[in-house]
Amino acid sequence: MAETLVLLKHRDVPGIENIDIYEQHGGYAGLKKALAMERDAVINEIKTSGLRGRGGAGFPAWIKWSGIPKDTKKPHYVLCNADEGEPGTFKDRELMLKLPHMVIEGMIIAAYATQSAKGYIYIRGEFVESARSIRRAIDQAYKKGYLGKSICGKEGFDFDLYIHMGAGSYECGEESALMSSLMGERGQPRLKFPHAPLPIHEGVWQSPTLINNVETYAAASQILAHGGAWYATMGTENSKGTKIISVSGHVKKPGNYEVELGYPVLDMIELAGGVTGGKLKAVIPGGSSVPIIPAELCKDFKLDYDAHQVVQYSMRTMRLPVVGSGGFMVFNDKTDIVVLMRRTAEFYTHESCGKCTPCREGTRWIFKILSRITTGGGLPGDIDLLVNICDQIDGRSYCGLGDAAAWPIMGAIKHFRHEFEYWIEHKRSPVGEDCLPPAPEPLNPLLTLTPV
Amino acid sequence: MSEQAGYVPVVGAVAEPQPAPEKSYRFSEQAIQELEEILTHYPDKKSAILPALWIAQREYDGYLPPQAIQEVADRLERPFVEVEGVATFYTMYNLRKRGRHHLEVCTCLTCAVMGAYEVVHHLEKRLGVKVGQTTSDGEFTLSEVECLNYCGAATVVQVGDKYFGNITKENVDELIETLRNSNEFTPADLANAIVRLHIPERTAKK
Repeated sequence: MAETLVLLKHRDVPGIENIDIYEQHGGYAGLKKALAMERDAVINEIKTSGLRGRGGAGFPAWIKWSGIPKDTKKPHYVLCNADEGEPGTFKDRELMLKLPHMVIEGMIIAAYATQSAKGYIYIRGEFVESARSIRRAIDQAYKKGYLGKSICGKEGFDFDLYIHMGAGSYECGEESALMSSLMGERGQPRLKFPHAPLPIHEGVWQSPTLINNVETYAAASQILAHGGAWYATMGTENSKGTKIISVSGHVKKPGNYEVELGYPVLDMIELAGGVTGGKLKAVIPGGSSVPIIPAELCKDFKLDYDAHQVVQYSMRTMRLPVVGSGGFMVFNDKTDIVVLMRRTAEFYTHESCGKCTPCREGTRWIFKILSRITTGGGLPGDIDLLVNICDQIDGRSYCGLGDAAAWPIMGAIKHFRHEFEYWIEHKRSPVGEDCLPPAPEPLNPLLTLTPV
Repeated sequence: MSEQAGYVPVVGAVAEPQPAPEKSYRFSEQAIQELEEILTHYPDKKSAILPALWIAQREYDGYLPPQAIQEVADRLERPFVEVEGVATFYTMYNLRKRGRHHLEVCTCLTCAVMGAYEVVHHLEKRLGVKVGQTTSDGEFTLSEVECLNYCGAATVVQVGDKYFGNITKENVDELIETLRNSNEFTPADLANAIVRLHIPERTAKK
């Protein structure tokens, strides 16, 4: 099966990041169509399309859009989450770099549909190159009258778009933490619905706020240009449309591939040129937060929001996602899964914001135990201890970072328990010496990463 | 109010109170204008703490000493501790001086399996420092960072505002030589680039 190019259709056109070339290739047609429609009709198009949030959670976009209050007693805000941080994902980086106008167009449509006068793109601090592209695009859009006062001659529709740069925090990709960060605070999450109002009622600066991923806004511009019904013809019953999958790891041609949702995992590897350096061992299909899939089970999985894996804690069963944010990482048979999980655990230990105890302490414990196992000090009860700690973290914090730290470990224990047992029994790697070189000797006794 | 009965302070457990940092402002005329422009983007002054810290990081040679945090706090009329809390939370705000080039090697999942640790070990030997340290001539600081989200080109190294992809232990020496011969000061360049991104063209002044 080939790619289905909707968002990335024109990515190789030279100069597509400039407004003139973008307009020649059908750019801003979606906005013009939207402005000729009633606000509710725009939201209806999104509803017809079945678009679901592309940041990882897959929440239906139209529910957020239609939930913004119809009155404007308080100002409304449109936020774009461009704090792409999930290991393995690099779709937003490319979208912003090559097709900045598509993202901006989607945001202007969202602003029209939700009666917002101000919008912010929260871009992670490292993405200077992509942010420059967005900066140029915003300046061009102001000159052409797509931003500012009375957009496209539509009286009473004013929209200003600002860039807000992050400063290095994975946690800020979580929507409530992102809003805290935008308001000049530490990027820590807040209480969620039903214990606190939804962002659509009280988000940033206590005002109704619409927050979506970069890819969601880009898709919205195409949905308005070509119609929601057209978009809904692609994908599966519950996961309509296309998704950009970022393929990396042991493959011949790593990169971004846009496919219809419901695309088989094995075909995805073929599309990226097949496995290099050995046979396929495992795939992490949706960014580091989703559980790993071993090679022999890959044929059973498709990339859509219905696909899931089940893990078992002592008292409860969890259904874990497969597609996530679309960070598709392929590993060959020279990869040591236990060492890989130690690295995953190190990531979450470093990025846990420290607000909730289960996540702050639990991620550290997982990392310490996995470090102990992978340096030859594993104890017989360590696997059960890991499962127990994951059980204590999962679902017991304000945001999903703790859950996301527990899931990959649970997935790895489910499918590769024998490798953990081998490490504990033989004190060496089951795949031999060339699995992964040892991590640098830590300056900080807990983390190998640079202390601030 | 009478003294609290039964309250015995724990001697030695509380940090010595630090004297307030000296007030000597270093924001240039251009920096003040940029801050004024940025303040128009938000409904309150607190929201400008992040961009203001980026300005301070540029004005204070690529890192944030306590004076820089004090200056941001005063200019935004916020308490020192609030700004300090923000500055210490985010990893891209440097609380200590960095080398002229800050090498940030991504060692997250994809990069780790594609040889990032080999690159780190090679750099440690080549530069004679450990991860987290700066060379004695102040040229390079070596760091390990979490995912830079350019996994398609693993291993990735970030230096200032630039990404370098497909780095291996073979071609990293070339990168080191190129950087050694350039006359940029990349930590401040990165802060400058980020500040400029906030400023719309229509209000930007050369």
